[in-house]
Order: sequence, then C-alpha cells, then structure tokens
Amino acid sequence: MRLFVRRELAEALRARWFLAYSAIFLVGGVLLIGLGARDTMLSGYRGYARALVGLVHFAVLFVPLMALFPAAASIAEERENGTLEYLLAQPVTRGEVFVGKWTGVALAVVASITAGYLLAGGLAVLRGVPLRFVLVSYGYLLLLALAFVSLGLGLSAVSETRARAITVGLLGWLALIALGSLGAVAAFVRWGMPAEILVGWTFVNPVEAFRLGMVGLMDPDLGLLGPVGASIAARAGAAPVLWGAAASLTLWTAVPLALGATGVLRRREGA
Amino acid sequence: MIRANGLSKHFGEQRVLDDLTLSIDAGERVALLGLNGAGKTTLFRCFLGLLGYDGRLEIDGLDASRRGRDIRARIGYVPQRPPHFPGTLGELVEFFSGLRGVDRDVVSGHMDALELSLATHAAKPVRALSGGMLQKTLLALATAARVSLLLLDEPTANLDPRARRDFVRALERVSGGTTVLLSSHRLEDIRAVADRLLLLHRGRIVFDGSFAELEASAGPTPTLWLTLTAAGVERVAARYESDPRVERLRRNGHRLGLRASPTALATVLAEIRAADIEIHDLRTETASLERLLNRYLETDDP
Repeated sequence: MRLFVRRELAEALRARWFLAYSAIFLVGGVLLIGLGARDTMLSGYRGYARALVGLVHFAVLFVPLMALFPAAASIAEERENGTLEYLLAQPVTRGEVFVGKWTGVALAVVASITAGYLLAGGLAVLRGVPLRFVLVSYGYLLLLALAFVSLGLGLSAVSETRARAITVGLLGWLALIALGSLGAVAAFVRWGMPAEILVGWTFVNPVEAFRLGMVGLMDPDLGLLGPVGASIAARAGAAPVLWGAAASLTLWTAVPLALGATGVLRRREGA
Repeated sequence: MIRANGLSKHFGEQRVLDDLTLSIDAGERVALLGLNGAGKTTLFRCFLGLLGYDGRLEIDGLDASRRGRDIRARIGYVPQRPPHFPGTLGELVEFFSGLRGVDRDVVSGHMDALELSLATHAAKPVRALSGGMLQKTLLALATAARVSLLLLDEPTANLDPRARRDFVRALERVSGGTTVLLSSHRLEDIRAVADRLLLLHRGRIVFDGSFAELEASAGPTPTLWLTLTAAGVERVAARYESDPRVERLRRNGHRLGLRASPTALATVLAEIRAADIEIHDLRTETASLERLLNRYLETDDP
C-alpha cells in the first residue's frame, strides 16, 4: 500500500496536474471568498452566502474534473501500455492494486484541494465567515472529490484505454450536472411526485447532493430550495439535508471502492 | 513444478486452450512455441493466476485458481514489452523490488551480474533506456527474488540482434537451477536456452520433446535435388511420379526434387544412373528445424 501511495503521489507531482489544480483552486477560492467577504461587510449574512453559492458552482464544475481525470487515467493507462499486466504478475491482488491506487490518487487530490482551500478558507474566516461554515464546506468538497476519485477509478478498472475511461467519465459528469436536476424536476412535473421524493431523488446524484448539502449549510431555512426546502425545514430542519448529502457522497465513494477492492471491477482480459 | 490437466479456456465462443495436459519438472528449461494466437499468452496468464479456466492447474503444488498471489511470489515474469514506468530506473527497481520484499541492493547485485549498473543508470528516466536494459532489469528483479519459475513471454521479440544475444547470454548465466519456460519465435534463442520443446497449436500441445526428438519425429526423409536435361527431367518424373518409394516429387525448371528415405534414394539414384540419364548436379537437403516446426504448426493434423 505504502509503495502504491508513494508512486501515485510521485506521479501526481511529476505530471504537474497537482500543482495546476491547487493553483486554480486557490485563485478561484480566494476570488470568490474575497468578493463575498466584501459583500458581507455591505450586506451582512447574505454576502458570504452569495460568495459560497459561487464557490459551490465553481466546485461543482471543477472538483469532479480534478478528481476524475487522474483517477480515470490511472489503471486504464497502465492497461493500455502493458504495465498493468506486469504489475498484476507480482505477488499482489487486483484489490490491493485498486485500493493502493485509490489511496494515492485520493491523497493527491485531497492535498491539492487542501492547499488551495487553506488560504481561501483562512481568508474567509478572517473576513468574518464562521469557522464551522468553512470546515463543513471543506468536508463536503473532500467528499465530492473522493466520490469522483472512486467513480473515475472504477471506470478506469473496466475501460480498455485511458481515452475511453476519461470520455465516459466526462459524459457521466455532464449527465449528472445537466440531466440530474432537470430530469428530477421533469419527473416531478410529469408524474406529480411528492416534494420529499423529488428531494430524495436529488440526493442520488452526487453533484446535486453536494449542492444540496452546501445550500443547507448556508441557508438553514432551506429557502434557496424554494417551497420544497421550506417544507423540509419546517418538518425536520436542515439537518436531514446536511446528513443526507454527506451520506450520499460517502456511498458514492464507498461502493465503487468496495467493488474495486474485492476485485469485482475488472475488465475481462483478452487472449 | 507445473502440472496442468484438462486445462481449457474459452473467450466467448473462441476456445483458446483446449483440454491441455502438461507437466514440467523443477529445473527444466522448456521452450513454448506456437503461432500468434496459439494460446501461449493465455497459458502464461493462467499460470500467473490472472485468468480463470476449466480443468486443474498446479504450480509448485499450489492450486493456481485459489493461490494466485502465492504462486506469483514464486514466479518471475518477463513480458514481451517492458512496463512503461513513468519514473526513473531507480524508482522502478525500488517499487517492484518492494512489492516482492527484496532489498534494492540485492537487485543491484543481480543487475551487476548482468553487466548493468544500477548505480550508473538509477537516475535515468525509464523511457530513455533501451529495451535490452529494461529486459535485463526485469530479469534481475525476478532472479533477485529467488523465484522457482522464470516465465519469459517472448522477451527478445523487440530487441535488436545484439541486445537479444546479450539477453540470452544473461539468461543462461543467471537461471541455473531455476525452472525456465520461454515463449519465443526465435529458434536460436530457444536452442540456447531450452532443452525441451512444447509446440502449442490451436490451444493444444502437438509436440512435447527435445530438439532431437522433434527431428526424429519428422522422419529421415531428405530430398535429393537433381539437375538434369529437359528430357532427363521428363523421363525421371514419368518414372517416379507414382512410385510408392518416393514421398514427394517436385519440379523446378531443370531441377527435380525427390523426397524419400535415404535407402530408397540410394536405390533411385542407382536406377537413374543405370538408365543412362545425364546428371549435371546433385545435392541433398534435409528438413530445417523451421520446416519441421511448420509441419506441426501450420497443419490441422500433424
């Protein structure tokens, strides 16, 4: 495990994506928090809420990609260039290879987010944003990233080539963003589903789950979610949204990881 | 060392290994030959526990379907294409020796024995090294781990002649006592390394024996090539075309080839001379090893 982690981290640094993602995250985070904090001084609470809505949109677009690219490339690229066969000819199991690579990529992505977020979050705290707010958003960001590391690595394990794994991952991410909420709303309108089912369905989509968790964090009344949110807040408060989002992202992380660790996620090798 | 009984492997409708039975003892040096698609790589993957199969397969007394990891610890594998490791040679050695729990210095010693200095090349990117250097490194990694079986899947296929010669010499030097199973298309490599041949054709072993046995199995049937006049060619061809002593008769301009047993050829030659047919030139040709192999590998019924 230690060997895999060290190797993945070394490759992340060598590929420079680690530094590039950290820099983008840092600049994006600082800009959004900085601008939001300025608004906070002018308009109180709603100022940083607006900044964090911006951060949510930025994260939804950026974090899945920064996790997906290295994870989707990881195993498929080694299969493509013949390294995987040599690796699997060593006294290791497919599960160990999967978990080792997952841990290495996850640590690199987490380190990249942390490096960028530390400064942005610190700046936010200095400008009056509550520390709890910054820490919980950091937790959601990490969960979102880990979910996409798992999804990317799962795709990588069953894809023949790096290009195919990344393409399918990108299409999946687009589908989750574009079709997730729209599809749920369409189903809601078409079949007249109860609001709770609509919200529940939204939690199934990891991108939407992250968005809901962040909205629940910045607006405990869930007013940003409209009548559905107001209804949930009136019945159970914001806690179910916060915990539901965390649980959804954790499941999206854990299920592909467990399937990969047990050797289920594998491509049938040819003759 | 290796015991396979009724080993079969299908990919969908395609049967790649077909009820294969095989036994290799510890310390044997065996070459596996077959055309592309014969099932060599699939067989190796079964040995490494990377593919499921029907039938029984034991390596070093361990069931390959259940003890893949333990078996891989006993096998040193050198593939046709060395891995595209993104780091330096030092990092590659560190990583793969670490997976086998072997000290880097021990690998370095084995590399020295192959005339490849880790100290000199450790900082070089793997992509900048030659194929021969990488294959030697993989061989050193395998021998340093004191494996009991060396599985070499066409290790010289992508090497230039000099690198190939170096690798084969290195293999001869370091593999003493270790069971070696070498898959290759190059007969000179095979002759240098192996003393037993397995011919794999359409998923089945069609020949299992030594080089001498392979040559004997083909039968003592040299071809006598005679250079004659045009009329002589016609007379001899007409006389021996359907003679049961002659296995095959071939024409090539003024040359006529007669394949038969040495005794039959001596009689035939005497008969031609007695018939007063002018012979301009005469030479015999025995089947080359390549031809013998092709006889097994290119026909459905050897």
